[in-house]
Amino acid sequence: MKHDKIERNIGLMVVLTMLAISAGGLVEIIPLFFIKDTVEVVKTADGKDMVRPYTPLEQLGRDIYVREGCYTCHSQMIRPFRDEALRYGHYSLAAESKYDHPFQWGSKRTGPDLARVGGKYSNDWHVQHLNAPRSMVPESVMPNYPWLLENRLDYSNVTQRMSALRMVGVPYSSNEAEYKRNVDTFGEDVANTLRIEKGEENLIKQAGTGNFDNNKSDVTEMDALVAYLQVLGTMVDFKQFDDDYFAKFR
Amino acid sequence: MEWLMWFTQFENTKPLALVIFFTVFCAVLFYVFGSRQRGARLESYKNMPFLDEHQDVKGN
Amino acid sequence: MATTNVVTNEQYNYDIVRKFTIMTLVWGAVGMLVGVYIASELAFPFLNLDTPYITFGRLRPVHTGAVIFGFGGSALFATSYYVVQRTCQARLFGDGLANFTFWGWQAIIVLAALGHVMGYSQGREYAEMAWPVDVLIAVVWVAYAAVFIGTIMKRKQPHIYVANWFYLAFILATALLHIFNNLAIPYSLTGSYSLFSGAQDAMTQWWYGHNAVGFFLTAAFLGMMYYFVPKQAGRPVYSYRLSIIHFWALIFLYMWAGSHHLHWTAIPDWTSTLAATFSIMLLLPSWGGMINGIMTLSGAWEKLRTDPIMRFLIVSLSFYGMSTFEGPMMSLKDVNALSHYTDWTVGHVHSGALGWVAMITFGAMYHLVPRLWNTQIHNPKLINVHFWLATIGILLYIVAMWISGIMQGLMWRAFDDFGNLQYSFVETVAAMFPFYVMRALGGAFFLTGMVIMCYNMFRTIRKGNANVAASIATAAA
Repeated sequence: MKHDKIERNIGLMVVLTMLAISAGGLVEIIPLFFIKDTVEVVKTADGKDMVRPYTPLEQLGRDIYVREGCYTCHSQMIRPFRDEALRYGHYSLAAESKYDHPFQWGSKRTGPDLARVGGKYSNDWHVQHLNAPRSMVPESVMPNYPWLLENRLDYSNVTQRMSALRMVGVPYSSNEAEYKRNVDTFGEDVANTLRIEKGEENLIKQAGTGNFDNNKSDVTEMDALVAYLQVLGTMVDFKQFDDDYFAKFR
Repeated sequence: MEWLMWFTQFENTKPLALVIFFTVFCAVLFYVFGSRQRGARLESYKNMPFLDEHQDVKGN
Repeated sequence: MATTNVVTNEQYNYDIVRKFTIMTLVWGAVGMLVGVYIASELAFPFLNLDTPYITFGRLRPVHTGAVIFGFGGSALFATSYYVVQRTCQARLFGDGLANFTFWGWQAIIVLAALGHVMGYSQGREYAEMAWPVDVLIAVVWVAYAAVFIGTIMKRKQPHIYVANWFYLAFILATALLHIFNNLAIPYSLTGSYSLFSGAQDAMTQWWYGHNAVGFFLTAAFLGMMYYFVPKQAGRPVYSYRLSIIHFWALIFLYMWAGSHHLHWTAIPDWTSTLAATFSIMLLLPSWGGMINGIMTLSGAWEKLRTDPIMRFLIVSLSFYGMSTFEGPMMSLKDVNALSHYTDWTVGHVHSGALGWVAMITFGAMYHLVPRLWNTQIHNPKLINVHFWLATIGILLYIVAMWISGIMQGLMWRAFDDFGNLQYSFVETVAAMFPFYVMRALGGAFFLTGMVIMCYNMFRTIRKGNANVAASIATAAA
């Protein structure tokens, strides 16, 4: 009888503690999964989604970004302040990272924000800067990344990666029906880059035509990373929206 | 799941949460400080770390 | 004497506590060494040596993993196993299971560190470990919960002492946070993609990140405080009833505050506002707990002068009070607009991590080691040396980060007379240099203190072991 009571006490303690610690998390996170207007609707005039999933090459570049821990020094989240607008551009939208698994908003700017770095510098600049940052920016404290040019990109499991992303909700297509849906949502050109069965082919093609690392023969890690950096923040064409359009989502 | 939307409205959840949590808080306060006898019992537990003192003595 | 030891061994499982105590010291030294190294990399980037394995981006999770989970985690295992046995007056439940938590936890820290160096990262702060390590963490954690709760269930005292409540909340919350934040789909043995994306992923990650601080680095260490401060002071805690209020208010309020890490980002405004409100409210239980701890010494203040271990414990509580005041202040949206993305955040974290977590751990370890090994501290004067090195180190660190953080925040938002930005980004980087050197220096002070502690404890343990060997020899003779 006495033992019974003791057990009930610690059991009760566990239950009450779980209740107390669960409340806050539930209230904060759960609604985000139900409110549709957490993520902005960003479409072109002809109704196509502006924000698209990354191409296979960009996605593998993103994986390198994560591997090297770039987020420990660079944010990807521009805040709605005047100075940040001047320095980086339009504040970041939730829609712009809706295909980011994981998100890379970051928490520290030892280096500048990268949310809209795409298109700001040439490919050559990025290659030289990643290889030896202080040759371009003498005061920089960024490490040199010479191995990005030396390492051939390992794209042997690109289909596994795309399939895994498809499972967590990124609309890469694995059959004809999904491909058709992507044509409707993103247009044919984009839909073609999202086909899992053509992942490797598309990756090699983009590395060749994009020529991100100034070396046409090999697909290097530099190709992938620069391809990723060059697409950051370029998907949404802000000229097509009024200033206050995005405010209503916040 | 539509009923969950009710909870996403701040004007609904704020007073609701306030009532629930304030009640619980008051209940805890009352439990802890409400009765002199219970208070004395609770305070007696603070000596628990010293109940095993003989262990130290034996150890040294 | 030999029989006494056998009896002690049978009554309490000290073996497991000793193991974790030793690893606390080892991981503390390793983790802080890596910390000083990466701090130096920020001041002198050539230290990255063009080698992938030791770049800042890969070593930073090694540092956070080794100090939070290696040093802090081992300290929590050691003290929770010690406190739960002594306050329940029951031997630890499941010797084999407890041993499994030891080897499992050490394997996790080593695998995580090796993985980070190799570049296997989930890209989530403080949860970078690759998915197989996450699975191992979950398994070890369940075993930990079983050992801890199992011990409480066979206790001889009817009441569960409040320190154990805090440890219990820490175990439960960490399980909850770890599992939800690491939901992911693997694509290889080392790589995976998180289940959530973008704004939802950010909310999940900072719910984890904030409460890892709240429960791993705060609630659990408060459990440590509620046992070791009274024990070292030789007097019971100031108010037991306050500790009850402290417990429930703290564990309830903490979980709401996570999204103050995401002010001004692309999450709905209401989540920020809610988090800021609860962050302010958190000040009350935090300071309630601090006062409860410090007032334990009321009437025996002279101990602060005479007892260096007491000094560690009380100063850690002062730093706890300071950083739990700074935290709510930084969660105000206007302050956050300045402080976020700058070194101010880094300084805030370290005033909590070095000032509160590490200092209270040092105090607890100095209390624990002589009792576990049945001997006296090798050189008590070195405790005092350690105390001053640690204190000077922390002050250098946080002052450097305050200045550089506020300065950089102000430089980013400075405009010239024509409404243009006054400084380019890289000018603000260059301005950080002296403070990065100062910070690395502060870290080096702190590390030196840690190394002195390791030496002092090593000698103490060797002396303890020699005593045991000698007494067994006499008994045999």
